[in-house]
Parts: sequence; C-alpha cells; structure tokens
Amino acid sequence: MKRAYLIEMTVIRDYARQLFGLGIFVGLCTSLGMQSIVAIPGVLTCMYLIMGTIAGSAYDEQNNWGLYRLTMPVSRRDVVLGRYGVIATLGLLGMLAGFIATIALSLIAGVVPLPGDLSSSLGLTQDNVQAMVFSCAVCTIIGSAVASIETPIYFRLGQTKATQWIPMISVFLFIGPMVILGATGGLDNFAGIADAVRGLFAFIETPIGVVTSMAVAIVVACIILGISAAVSLKLYEQREL
Amino acid sequence: MSAMASDITSGAPLIEAHGLTKHYQDFSLQGVDLTVDEGEIVGFVGQNGAGKSTTIKALLGLTTLDGGTARILGTDVNDLAHGSTGACIKEQIGVVFDTVSIPGHLRVADVGRVHARAFSQWSQHLFDQLVREFGLGTNKQVKDLSRGMGMKLSLACALSHDARLLVLDEATAGLDPMARDEILDRLRAFVETPGHAVLMSSHITSDLEKIADRVLCIEGGRIVFDLAKDEITDEMGIARCRVAEFEAVAASGIIPERELRYRKHDYGIDLLVPDRFAFARQFPNIPVDHMTIDDYMTLTLKGGVR
Repeated sequence: MKRAYLIEMTVIRDYARQLFGLGIFVGLCTSLGMQSIVAIPGVLTCMYLIMGTIAGSAYDEQNNWGLYRLTMPVSRRDVVLGRYGVIATLGLLGMLAGFIATIALSLIAGVVPLPGDLSSSLGLTQDNVQAMVFSCAVCTIIGSAVASIETPIYFRLGQTKATQWIPMISVFLFIGPMVILGATGGLDNFAGIADAVRGLFAFIETPIGVVTSMAVAIVVACIILGISAAVSLKLYEQREL
Repeated sequence: MSAMASDITSGAPLIEAHGLTKHYQDFSLQGVDLTVDEGEIVGFVGQNGAGKSTTIKALLGLTTLDGGTARILGTDVNDLAHGSTGACIKEQIGVVFDTVSIPGHLRVADVGRVHARAFSQWSQHLFDQLVREFGLGTNKQVKDLSRGMGMKLSLACALSHDARLLVLDEATAGLDPMARDEILDRLRAFVETPGHAVLMSSHITSDLEKIADRVLCIEGGRIVFDLAKDEITDEMGIARCRVAEFEAVAASGIIPERELRYRKHDYGIDLLVPDRFAFARQFPNIPVDHMTIDDYMTLTLKGGVR
C-alpha cells in the first residue's frame, strides 16, 4: 500500500502544490471579501478532499495510466488504499493551507491597520478560533462524505460524462437540506429537535465542545472513508480495465 | 524468489498459457495457447482487434479469465493481482503498451521518480543513461513528447528495473527506422542475458524478421500459427504461378492436399511453398521468392485452401 501511495503522491504532487498555493490565495481573498477568517480552513479542507478525489481518478484515465499502474508491483487493493491515503493527505493539506492563510491574514491585520473594521474582524480571537475549528470539523465531514460517494463510483466506472456530475450532485445533497431548513425555519416546527440543536450549539461554543466536535468529525470521517474504501475494494476488483 | 530461481535452472517457460478463454460482448479469446522460453524473442502478430492486447492483458493478470490457465515466471497469473508474490513477480516484468501510459503532465524526470517508488530494483543511473541516449529532455512533459519519443521513454522505464521478461504491445509503433533499429539492438542485448525473454506484439513485421525467434499469429481470438521465424523466412517461399502452373503444382502432390494455400491476383496466383528449395528443384521455371511474415500472414488469413 505504501508503494501505491507514494506513486500516487508523486503523480499528484504538482497538482497538490498548485492547489496549496491557490488555496492560500483563495483563503486570503475570501477572508477579505467576507470580512471573516472563520470559514477558510473548513472550506479549503472540503475543497481539497473533493478536488483530490476528482484529480486522482482523472489521472487514472489519462493515457491508460490506471491500467499501466497495475503492471507495476502493486495490487488493486494497494491502489484503492493508496488513493484513500492520498485523499486524506490532500484534505489535511487543505486544512493546513486554510490555517496558514488565516494566521497570515490575522498577523497582517494585527500589524497593518486595514480599512473599515477589517483589522478587528480578522483577528485571532478565541471566538474566531472556536468557530474556525468547528466549521473545519463540519466541512471535514462533508468533504469526506462527498469523497466517499465519489471514489467508489470512479473506481467502478471511471470518469465519464455521467460520473463527472457526481461531485456537484453530492455537494447539493449535503448543502440542500441545510439551505432549505435555514430558509423555511423548518427545525422550529419540531420543538424537541430544535431544543436539542440549541443545546448542542451551546456545548460546541465552549472550548471543550469545539475540541470534541473536531474529534468526532475526524472519527466520523475515518469511518465513512473506511466504509467507502471497503466498497471501492470490491468494485475495483471487478472492474475490467 | 525461490520459484524464480528454480525457473532459471529448470528452463521452464517464462510464459506458459493453455486454453486462454475470455468472452466479451463482441469478441472472444478462444483457447489461446502460448509459450515464451528463456532467451526467446516471440513476435505476436495479427490484425487490429484480433486479440493481441486482450491476450497480453490476460497474461499480465489485468483481466480475469473465463477459462484456461496461464503462468508467468512460474506464477499463476491470477496471483499477480494479489499480495507479495504478485508484486515480486511484477518486479521482474517490464511492460510497454501501445501508448505512453503515464499522465501527460509529468515530466520525464518525474516518470523516473514514479518508477523508482514502484520498483525496488529501479536503476536511476540506467534510466538517466537511457534517457540521454534516447535524446529525451528530463524537463519535457510527457504530453509534449512525440509518439516515438513517448515509446522510447516507456522502453527506458521497462529496461531500468532489472526485468527478466519484457512484454511489449506495439512498442516500436511510431518510431522512425533508425530508432526502431536502436530499440531492436537493445532487445537483442536484453535476451542475451540468461533467464531473459521478450514477448512483442507488432504490426511492423519487418522488425520481427530482424529479431524474432518465433512468430505467433492470432485471428478472431484464436492462434492460427505458431512457427519458428526461420521456418517462414528461410525455408518457405512464395511461388508466382500462372493458372496452368498452379494446376500442375497441385497435381504434383509436392504440397499435401488441403494444405495448398494460394491467393489469386489479376496477373496470376501466389502460392505458399513450405520448402522453396525443393520446390525450385521440381519446378525450375516457376519463380519463387523469399517468404516474408507479411506474405505468410496474408496467405494464411486471406488466402484460399485447396
């Protein structure tokens, strides 16, 4: 598995570098635009998990690379596990890029007086840090879930015109219900659930709560990626390349 | 590794396949038998879609078989896809497909890095040397290489990890004659090392005439002939007959009944002659040319039988 992981990382290295630089740039611009540093690590984590999945399978299709790789001393199992390793690595890279962009911006905001109220809103306050970690936790789950849906499908069918829509569809599947619930105030109709959610948010707003949410997110991401890997293993074994 | 050692000493074939069968919706591989022995270069010919690439994929364990058995370097091909035994065997097989099978954004130097990660016996020194000799710039991206240069890069990779067996699928396609000769020289040198062999599919039969020891032809998923190359090019001939001469030859019995292969043209009939020297003695007035692999394929696949 290590071999397959290293091969995959070598193939994706240039793309990861570009993505890292782009991530920092996007992070800086978005933070300035939104006048908030809270969302950036989360957004980049989610984006990198999804982009890593798409890029990995896109390279498989190029020049029959997926077939040729199997003539190397790696098994299909190694290839699948290596791919999940790469996806996780890129997710961490996204998180890192997000935190670097955020910290850099906060430091700049602390030193250079920025127009309007930017300097204070971009500061690394405890509230901002907690919100950042929590958003990162939520986005880790969303990114992992999307990657977990996409990867087995790509391993079975490859990247086709049809399967290229899957990332967008799966993102909407996660975001859609939240948007609908937010817009309609849907949760308010279920008093028990609304109270529970309020209680959960109150807990998450504490330092212990935010750390717990991150830990839970990592465990959940590992579980769903693990289940997805098991499905991918079965599907890729059956694929005729 | 002990299996490998015993293969070298026992002289067992490096590739041994019996009755390979694989069914697709529009094509079937039907009972393919094939062996490649130590020190051999085996040419694998056939029309487009005849089953060459499918057979090669089956031999490399890249596709599951519906029937038959195949062993490569002494290991069942079904085991190539799994575990450390498969990995150990694949370390010793150099593969070149008909396109440069590397993502296009990688540079030549990156291709070396990818292979270095994959093969424990990778020789960066040899790879660098081959890259230089083949005139490949290390900073050039794969997508910017011409087809010929891409094939040279693929060959450089296949030759740089101490492989015992090379499996080449149209590896010389797209190369200019000088480059092809260079590659053929390398393949000759490769099989001179004890324990080495090459299986090479190609449409360029003149290349096979230069280096192959044996030629296999596949058509419609079946092996139609498996002959020593010298038998075709040194012993056989192609007689250029007129109709009356053709009838005389048929009546003479020099070629057994139902083995008389011929092809009609506007200007006469080409006749496959198994022993051109004996034929020339018996029919001195009928011109007999050397047989080429192309001629033999054409007469076998498209000619009539009487």
